[in-house]
Amino acid sequence: RGGGRGGGSNVILKPHRHPGVFIAEGKESLLVTKNLVPGEAVYGEKRISIDGGVDGTKVEYRVWNPFRSKLAAGVLGGLDSLFIEPGKKVLYLGAASGTSVSHVADIVGPEGVVYAVEFSLRSGRDLIGMAKKRTNVIPIIEDARAPQRYRMLLSTVDVIFADVAQPDQARIVLLNAEYFLKNEGHVVISIKASCIDSTAPPEAVFAKEVDFLRANKVKPIEQVTLEPYERDHAMVTGKYLRHGQKE
Amino acid sequence: MATHALFETASGYAVFEVKLHDAVGSLEKAVQSSIDDYSKFSKMVSLVSFAPFQNAAHALENMNDISENAINPYLQSVLELNLAKPKKGSSVVLAANSQLAPQIKSQLGITCAPSEIATDILRGIRQHAAKLLKGLQDEDLTKAQLGLGHAYSRAKLKFNVNRIDNMII
Repeated sequence: RGGGRGGGSNVILKPHRHPGVFIAEGKESLLVTKNLVPGEAVYGEKRISIDGGVDGTKVEYRVWNPFRSKLAAGVLGGLDSLFIEPGKKVLYLGAASGTSVSHVADIVGPEGVVYAVEFSLRSGRDLIGMAKKRTNVIPIIEDARAPQRYRMLLSTVDVIFADVAQPDQARIVLLNAEYFLKNEGHVVISIKASCIDSTAPPEAVFAKEVDFLRANKVKPIEQVTLEPYERDHAMVTGKYLRHGQKE
Repeated sequence: MATHALFETASGYAVFEVKLHDAVGSLEKAVQSSIDDYSKFSKMVSLVSFAPFQNAAHALENMNDISENAINPYLQSVLELNLAKPKKGSSVVLAANSQLAPQIKSQLGITCAPSEIATDILRGIRQHAAKLLKGLQDEDLTKAQLGLGHAYSRAKLKFNVNRIDNMII
């Protein structure tokens, strides 16, 4: 906890397939993101300093735990593309306390923007605290079901990431897409089967959600399971084709 | 068909003129096909007026009204100034947010465009906002969003009526 000193010499940093994500290879391999605010952890996660290459300067990275972040689990689950990349604008629905959001902020970097929507006031307090340090995060304490309520705060975004764990999650994503997602932008959705239908088998729930997206202008791209980090979760990505063109 | 559009940003209200160039019914299609292409879209809409918020408190007050689908006096004055008083047979048709449009219609008597058309026009404006709003850079807009996002969210926490129940056990 709160490491960060030492350890740097025998750790090798490698870029991950996804831009903005890295792997720190030491005794074990860890998923890391480049800390936007060096010297500080957001939620007690481990930090690793690695030689930056220029005059022995160090660059700090934060460990991204797949057991705590579904997006990290999706990366390790083998997603082909995250669509969340340096410089992108991301609408993050279901930001909670902002632990995962802080890593997304690391990935998009100072040139990118993360609009983080969370409805719960208790989580929202932590989210605002995190966003004070990371100025590329815009906290929005509001109901993701009502995008018109926060429409003044957003520009057009490249990606919508959703982890709202609501039965009508896909509908919520599409509502937001209509307002804010650019044509041919992407959606990345974490689906918890038991939140949508706890009686049906998870595979059937995932298939139904994908069908719903397909029927609503989203062309599904891929689906990965979040096992072993989360049980009965899947992560689905798709492309928003606003005008329903066929590709 | 729409002749004007109202676009709300974190730094102020923008009123655009929507230029019709073809037959009725083609607007939606035209917007759709050119929405991604700034050179095409910029020929379809032109900025009539941008009314900035005076300060952070003013922005927050307007954002609170917008989120409740209420018409702030400032918004009312902006609309009346730019669209003139609607007369009989007036041709002003405003593309506004689908939730706000009914209020504009009933309180100000301004005809509003069907929501599907308004949605696409406003999507186009949002996408190219930084270029359409002259003198406003992309970073300026982001800065305004950041400030207003914090202010709005903090206000939500402050006026949490259930706060007294959130005891630490």
